[in-house]
Amino acid sequence: MNDEVLTPISQAMKEGVITRAELRQLMRRSNFAGFLHLLKFIVVLAITGTLVIVSFDTLWLIPAMFAHGIIVVHHFSLQHECCHYTPFRSRWLNEVVGNYCGFLLVIPNKYFRYEHCNHHTFTQQKGYDPELIELPISLSRYLWYLSSIPYWYAQFEALIRHVFGRISKSEEEFIPVEERRAVIVEARTYFALYLLIIAGSVALDWWGALWLWWIPMFLGEPVMRAIRMTEHVGRPNVTDMKENTRTNLVTRPMRLLCWNMNYHAEHHYASSVPFHALPDLHRRLTGFVHVEKRGYLGAHIDIISQIVGRTPRADATGSEA
Amino acid sequence: MKRERKWHNILPLGDLVSGDVTPARLGRLDLAVYDTEEGVFVSLARCTHQGANLCYGYFDGFAIECPLHQGLFDVRTGKPLAAPATRKLRMLDCRIADGMVQVLR
Repeated sequence: MNDEVLTPISQAMKEGVITRAELRQLMRRSNFAGFLHLLKFIVVLAITGTLVIVSFDTLWLIPAMFAHGIIVVHHFSLQHECCHYTPFRSRWLNEVVGNYCGFLLVIPNKYFRYEHCNHHTFTQQKGYDPELIELPISLSRYLWYLSSIPYWYAQFEALIRHVFGRISKSEEEFIPVEERRAVIVEARTYFALYLLIIAGSVALDWWGALWLWWIPMFLGEPVMRAIRMTEHVGRPNVTDMKENTRTNLVTRPMRLLCWNMNYHAEHHYASSVPFHALPDLHRRLTGFVHVEKRGYLGAHIDIISQIVGRTPRADATGSEA
Repeated sequence: MKRERKWHNILPLGDLVSGDVTPARLGRLDLAVYDTEEGVFVSLARCTHQGANLCYGYFDGFAIECPLHQGLFDVRTGKPLAAPATRKLRMLDCRIADGMVQVLR
């Protein structure tokens, strides 16, 4: 019973990086902070959505949909926060907003929560972390991942499989027995709503969802894949949070879009700390997490350097699990 | 033969953090002691989901949140309030006596 289950925050507190009182202050939730950030996010979304509408029937439509798509796929950052119940103090708000984002992005929220739990428990441990993105073995595999084709294949394969009531062996590792039925019901509900929207679009001959949602989302997803790669890819497959996760210093507009999730190592250290307190936690954890000062671009330079052999591959250290 | 249960001291009352969760030990057991407006409650400190120590979690008056996956429990009953927590926390009978928090075990 007294074998310690080492969590990142217990690691930080044992190392004296942060005190219980400081942590408690940082973990405070705020509906106001959540709504204020959401309002800014919606304003940006409305601007890019308007760009799509006004550029219709012009050559600017594709760039406008791409720009809008980058914002659309950043609903993932909000959904991710919601799965930790951190953007809003009221838990039901996190559920509602998380499901809205999940529906938009074809990431069923309950399923994502359980998958993400094991990502936090087994971060970067090969065979255990269900969200682990392998360091590509070649530049072509790197570009293949960025294309988002393997990502979308996996998303739709899981959705359809759940619609048919099937949970895979690897999913049994993280979805509790008593929640498997709920995951299947969730997938069926999402799927039925997608069919309803498609049927409604055909019946009304109104294709707003196609131009403002689906095409932008598919165009924008490679950007989200590139951002998701910067969090762990190219970091060693070890349990030490100081090593296995990368924080990226990015501009204020990017921080707005990603809900401060660029402070990813800090988030893994204390996942109960809401987005608005992550910059503060970052200052306190200076020297205790791996920081890429050149931001997302610097992270990709690091990843590509490892792929082409200019620097040693981080995955050569092997998994501790 | 069934072992007779008795009261054990686990924490001086002066060490109890007001309005928060305080870690304590009883033999090999890690315990979490909660100071609520309705009194003191004690549970096993490990989350029933994946075993993280709840003493590092966020305590909001009557609910303790797991620091690893944010599962939520009512510390008065042990009832799970939010996913991924699905199983009850093991609660221990407790009392304040002689300036100590005590549990029955």
